[in-house]
Amino acid sequence: MTIGSGGSSVVVPRNFRLLEELERGEKGIGDGSVSYGMDDSDDIYMRSWTGTIIGPHNVSAELSLISTVHEGRIYQLKLFCDKDYPEKPPSVRFHTRINMTCVNPETGVVEPKKFGMLTNWQREFTMEDILTQLRKEMASPHNRKLVQPPEGTYF
Amino acid sequence: MGAEGDSSETAAVAGEDVPVNIRCSNGSKFAVRTSLDSTVSAFKALVAQNCDVPADQQRLIYKGRILKDDQTLVSYGLQADHTIHMVRGFAPPASTNTAGGANSAASDTAAALAARTAAPTEGGNIGSAGLGASLFPGLGLGGLGGLGGPGGNASSGLLGAGLPDFEQMQQQLTQNPNMMREIMNMPAIQSLMNNPDLMRNLIMSNPQMREIIDRNPELAHILNDPSILRQTLETARNPELMREMMRNTDRAMSNIESSPEGFNMLRRMYENVQEPFLNATTMAGDAGNNLGSNPLAALLGNQATAGGQQRDGSTNTSTTGSESATPNTNPLPNPWSNPAAGGTQTNNAARTNPSGDARPPPLGGLGSLPELDRMLGGVPDASMMTQLLQNPAVSQMMQSLLANPQYMNQIFNLSPQLRAMSDSNPQLRELMQNPDLLRQLASPEMMQQMLTLQQSLLSALRPQSNQDSIQTAGTGGNANNLGLEMLMNMFGGLGAGGLTAPENPNGEMHCITFLLTAQLSAVPPEELYATQLTQLQEMGFFDTQENIRALQATRGNVHAAVERLLGNMGQ
Repeated sequence: MTIGSGGSSVVVPRNFRLLEELERGEKGIGDGSVSYGMDDSDDIYMRSWTGTIIGPHNVSAELSLISTVHEGRIYQLKLFCDKDYPEKPPSVRFHTRINMTCVNPETGVVEPKKFGMLTNWQREFTMEDILTQLRKEMASPHNRKLVQPPEGTYF
Repeated sequence: MGAEGDSSETAAVAGEDVPVNIRCSNGSKFAVRTSLDSTVSAFKALVAQNCDVPADQQRLIYKGRILKDDQTLVSYGLQADHTIHMVRGFAPPASTNTAGGANSAASDTAAALAARTAAPTEGGNIGSAGLGASLFPGLGLGGLGGLGGPGGNASSGLLGAGLPDFEQMQQQLTQNPNMMREIMNMPAIQSLMNNPDLMRNLIMSNPQMREIIDRNPELAHILNDPSILRQTLETARNPELMREMMRNTDRAMSNIESSPEGFNMLRRMYENVQEPFLNATTMAGDAGNNLGSNPLAALLGNQATAGGQQRDGSTNTSTTGSESATPNTNPLPNPWSNPAAGGTQTNNAARTNPSGDARPPPLGGLGSLPELDRMLGGVPDASMMTQLLQNPAVSQMMQSLLANPQYMNQIFNLSPQLRAMSDSNPQLRELMQNPDLLRQLASPEMMQQMLTLQQSLLSALRPQSNQDSIQTAGTGGNANNLGLEMLMNMFGGLGAGGLTAPENPNGEMHCITFLLTAQLSAVPPEELYATQLTQLQEMGFFDTQENIRALQATRGNVHAAVERLLGNMGQ
């Protein structure tokens, strides 16, 4: 199960690429901190996806064992891969309410301007990368202490 | 669907069972077989059998979606060999109980627990409970599951015992002979009983006893004979049989007495054997105020009492007096008979014990902590404990008890303090329910280590331990603080446990603290970081030693470890 070479020599077509991601999501390959899959298996364009991020506990918290605001929470996101994916990044929107610098507090949309990965998108990036990066972002110093809305509320 | 899953659970019979992988948030992974038509809640129950997360705490995620209990798996498009992520959520507030199905198993272990506490009970039950009680402090408390240990100190250490609700349980047990019978039928206990070495160890650990046995080889023969113990056990399971046996020995006694010289013989017997026995046993009893403080106290205590009666020339009176239900069935005490015959007298032994304490009888080997250091003083024989701990039967029993997560749940639910603590500290609960941890706890090496630690802890504790502060319920208030402290200790690494101990009036707490501290610091890093190590290996870091070093430096944080490893490579 080798992932596309990631080099520049072979350009993996959109569908193959998304199928690959779909399989990774279904089989749970990865570090287990994020999960993702397609919303509508009948959509031949494979555009609409759902992802979840399992709230991180950050390093310093682990040392002193203080729970973080995100720990144990599950965040659901919607990802939309338009037909220009993976040339262009998907649009990413939090479904679960979250207070985070790169997330629009009204809509839950992850704003590319504030989330470097979307701004500097490369076609090798995957949705899994986005999710893990967002997870890291949650644990970053400027995010991990923000007061969070009650669990189970949605945008 | 020919794929062979390696899961072992008995899945529903529905023909189309397929393997599904579960991936926990801590990185561990396992497979279960399920029908895709089953509902998510049924699936959760299945998963709960394979891990230590109760169904109501599971949050399952598949393809980025949280699975809802009332949906079927197939409605989420789940297929064979796919992976579901599992996150441990928080339990619904009301449910401290484990799932209903677990209850029977739990009650088994509860019964085992209760058995130890029931030992010196004052219940007037002459039935099998009484006999069981006689067996347990005698043979058991010392040996049972290594939980008793000599004087039960190990038990308090291991389980942080002294659980306040034991008294309740104890009562329950005395009122329920069936439960007792169940306990007696437990294979672990039987194997323990059938082990002559263990018994010999127990007996020989008491110097006075050893002396007596040296002087009376025939006694040694009796005590060393596993068949007698087995017989006792058999009898204990059958109240009818027991009564008959008692009558028989009564008759035998009368016969002896009526023959010329018979009475003198009995008296000689008493003077040679019973009196020293009595001394040997009650001495410890006085010191410890607790039958559990001497593994032999009850076993022999009953004989001792019996002997005492004999000497007084009393023929058919029972010291239980008001407690004896039907005087007719009361047996004549018999100093020679195996312990079964004297079974009912255990209670007497317990009460003639000059305890002077108004509170209910000491909780057997799981005695309260203040007693514990006294006990320790009374039974300083660590080597004996070591022997005990190395006994395969003991460790087997330990494992069977501790491998059952329900058992730990039971303990938690029994104690308000512990419950408060675990509610406020999910990590702790997780830790206590971690089968690996428990398995390690049950290993003889570990127990030995803990014993040593415990002794040092207790010696530090002794000057200030309040003899009268038996677990009062009032300590619940500071449970939160304690919990925090505890966690700090647990993860702060070694040694810290000892520091907090003196501040803590509530013995059982720091016992656990201590234990976990000890545990965490004593577990080899390969085991402690097993999951993280596999993760690292999966990521392509193959140098195990290097990985361990990195994990140790980062306290098991894989991400930090990776960064560290990468940093190292870069240099």
